[in-house]
Amino acid sequence: MWFKTQAPALGDFEQLVLLGVLRLDPGAYGAAIRQEIHARSGRDVSINAVYTTLDRLENKGFLKSWVGEPTPQRGGRRRKFYGLRPAGVAALRQAYHAFTAMADGLQGRLETK
Amino acid sequence: MMRRLAVWLLTKRLSPEWRDFVLGDLEEEFAARRAAPSSSAAAAHAWFWWQTIRCLAAPPPARQLLVPLERLPGDSRMRTLLADIRYSLRVMVRAPSFALSVVGVLALGIGGNAAIFSIVNAVLLRPLPIEEPERIVRVFHTPPQDAFPGMPTFALSPANFYDWQRAATSFEGMALFRSRQFTLTGTGAARSTVAGAIGAGFFDIVRARPAMGRVFRADEDTPGGKHVVILSDAFWKRELGGAADVIGRTLNLDGEAYTVVGVMPPAASIEAWPIMARDMWVPLALDDEARTVRENHNQQGVARLKRDVDLARAQSELDVIAKRLEREFPKENAGWGARIIPLQDVIVGDVRTPLLMLLGAVGLVLLIVCANVGNLLFTRALGRRKEIAIRSALGAGRGRVFQQLLVEALVLAGAGGTLGLLLAQLTLGAAATLLTDQVPRAGEISIDARVLLFVAGVSMLTGMLAGALPAIRAGRSDLTDALKEGGRSDGAVGIRTRRLLIVCEVALSLVLLMGAGVMLRSLQALRNDNAGFDLDNLLTMSVTLSESRYATPAQRTAFFDRTLQRLRALPGVEAAATIDNLPFQGGSVQPIVREGHAELLPRDQPTVQVREITPGYLRAMRIPLLRGRDVADGDEEVLLVSREAAKLLWGTDDPIGSRVTLPLVSRTMFRQVIGIVGDVKQGDLREAPAATVYRYTRERSWRDAMIVLRTAVPPGSLAVPAVAAIHAIDPEQPVDDVRTMVNVRDEQLTSPRFSALLLGIFAAVALLLASVGIYSVLSYIVRGRRREIGIRTALGARTTDVVRLVIREGMSPALIGIGAGAVGALAAGRLLERLVFGVSASDPLTLGAVAATLVVVALMASLVPAYRASRVDPLQALRAE
Repeated sequence: MWFKTQAPALGDFEQLVLLGVLRLDPGAYGAAIRQEIHARSGRDVSINAVYTTLDRLENKGFLKSWVGEPTPQRGGRRRKFYGLRPAGVAALRQAYHAFTAMADGLQGRLETK
Repeated sequence: MMRRLAVWLLTKRLSPEWRDFVLGDLEEEFAARRAAPSSSAAAAHAWFWWQTIRCLAAPPPARQLLVPLERLPGDSRMRTLLADIRYSLRVMVRAPSFALSVVGVLALGIGGNAAIFSIVNAVLLRPLPIEEPERIVRVFHTPPQDAFPGMPTFALSPANFYDWQRAATSFEGMALFRSRQFTLTGTGAARSTVAGAIGAGFFDIVRARPAMGRVFRADEDTPGGKHVVILSDAFWKRELGGAADVIGRTLNLDGEAYTVVGVMPPAASIEAWPIMARDMWVPLALDDEARTVRENHNQQGVARLKRDVDLARAQSELDVIAKRLEREFPKENAGWGARIIPLQDVIVGDVRTPLLMLLGAVGLVLLIVCANVGNLLFTRALGRRKEIAIRSALGAGRGRVFQQLLVEALVLAGAGGTLGLLLAQLTLGAAATLLTDQVPRAGEISIDARVLLFVAGVSMLTGMLAGALPAIRAGRSDLTDALKEGGRSDGAVGIRTRRLLIVCEVALSLVLLMGAGVMLRSLQALRNDNAGFDLDNLLTMSVTLSESRYATPAQRTAFFDRTLQRLRALPGVEAAATIDNLPFQGGSVQPIVREGHAELLPRDQPTVQVREITPGYLRAMRIPLLRGRDVADGDEEVLLVSREAAKLLWGTDDPIGSRVTLPLVSRTMFRQVIGIVGDVKQGDLREAPAATVYRYTRERSWRDAMIVLRTAVPPGSLAVPAVAAIHAIDPEQPVDDVRTMVNVRDEQLTSPRFSALLLGIFAAVALLLASVGIYSVLSYIVRGRRREIGIRTALGARTTDVVRLVIREGMSPALIGIGAGAVGALAAGRLLERLVFGVSASDPLTLGAVAATLVVVALMASLVPAYRASRVDPLQALRAE
């Protein structure tokens, strides 16, 4: 389409989730992503919010998913793993570039002492 | 526990494609948090719940399924069903009077069914409120059939029972019980109370555990045991104000102090089983002599089957034991067997057949309702032919039209069912006291889940039955025809179907009317049946002397002598006497042996009803003295024999002056027969009078007696003076069951009266519905054939011709229905035969009367439409075209 040359912009939380997937690759699934976000950003998000976002990102074509084997510590339930598609990587890259470009030279004022 | 609830909630809330992943994640992290040394279990739980709540608030969205396009807008079953229901409701609102009449008729039919089924459910289907009631059996003797013709079961002899108890391995426990009347003093006025006297282990068998105190100990079931009593919850609350310190207190029974050792919980009282409905229980405490009595049968028995033993096996084990006892004690036991019957069957045995008969009858009423409503719906469907034709023209298939009409019928049936349920609830509530006397377990009648399920099922079935025929016929109607005719109704449509409905209604009504008629005639026969004495102007009452205050026969004799003297002196009293058991109430049955004849084995020895009377009994009851003389005050030990007994024992010999023994009373005491008297019905009204001997003994040993007063005034008016006269002699003496003899008799008639009343109501409703059905069908036909009638009149038909035409139209299906109904009634008669007395269930006279009634009703129902037809103005009828 002539008006849509770049991937759609990512929301703030979408960025966190995508980054989580990237960090945990290839073992990214709901609970792990949730804990990663909690541990690194301090945001205690709910599991449903994570899955809602993962689902949306998958529908946008940024993520792919596959289902693992049931494990006993999950009460015999399966895991749904996520991995980045090229479009997802591109979108993340674009967001990263936008962010670092805008933040360039402001490190002194943004970083806490 | 709480976590399981959370998981359950999440399972409900989450869509299937997310359930596993979300729940798995939560479980996994929960497990990790619990295992972490830094976190407590409570914190982990709190976290889990917090996550749950957040997930419940906003679960991940369900994936939009990609569905084939054609399934989206089309006729999914559910969607059209909902549309049809909505449409049906609109139609109902648009024609409220039609809907109301249909729903009303349906409510009548379904309500009747719901009410009767509620009774059947409570009485027959619901298990007794005892732990594992199906394992509780009543234990009986079976008497030798030659000596006791027609008696299936008999009370137990203690010695035999204890032998069974020792030998049988099929039972967890067996116990004897009986009723025992006491005079209760010390709590208000002296009065008699009936206690349950129970053998050791009784409460264990029925699994009754005291709410306070304890049950009886084994050593208390012995004659040397202390006087102890266990109270029912009701008695404890009513008489002792529910005192918490009741254990250890004493009650004064028959002048002796009984120590309260326990109080039963409310649940232990079972209204339907007399022994468990008592105010109190005492140990049976048979003495050693009573325990060894083998030939006297006067105890009741109950037992609990072991878990792994079924009824048949227990029965065959008892059979073997009874056979062995017959061999060991032929003199006492020849011909006596053992029989166990499930407790529930004993309690409800008598009402099972009548109740099922009533359920069948009310089912027939429902069928008539179906026919009626079917007719109404049919008329309506035809009135809507244009609408249906347009629907068909727009592409609605026959199946679609069928479904819509059926759904309409079902919606109506649903409304009718709901209203009917309400009706049943109201009726049962209003009839609660009436029912108490009619059926056992009446207190348990209620509308429970099973009744609801039944009503739902019946409503569905009714809707389908009533709706199917019109729906099929309407779906079949010709499209072009219907559209061409426009709005004009046409009498020629569906007449055959309607005639069939009339035939069905009339036939079913006849079956019901026949049943009601036969029951009514049976009731009348029972009421008019010659009992052998004059029931009118007789007052009866029961007196039981207390054991301690009237210890000797002399004291007892003196009391009754004085009492009868006083009663005879009352103005309005013509005669007064006592007997041990009133007619209709049964009593002692004993072998009897003529002097000079050897006593045979019990299997062969004839038995008679034995009654103990005082002089004046014959006069009071107006029992005819056929030969010989009446007993007189000067006699010591004499007998009167009934005509039947004379025939049984003496045949053609003359009994008067001959002597007999009653071996159960004494084998050495000979009593002389001094007179022959008329036969009296001592037991069931339906049975022929039994052979009876009346004995008079100067010194009375019995403590209890029924007093009978022959009055010159209405007997009820003497109730108060009579009791006062007895109290003038002994103010502490309770007097119970003050009733007229007619009341005593009517008690026997409650079950047939109940059946006749309900059948009568059902038949009346059926008759009404049938006449309404005939009327509405004929009206419809006359309206539809106005033009034809107009032409006939214009061509010179006279009024009588027109009237005859219409009446023939109504009467021919009615007559066919009567014919079909007669066949049905004769078939149903075979089921009724067991319930009627003095009349055949296929009595031709009743059948004729019932058929005639139906002819008259059908004729009446045809008259108004016929009159209307005769008033058709030919000019107007033809111009209307």
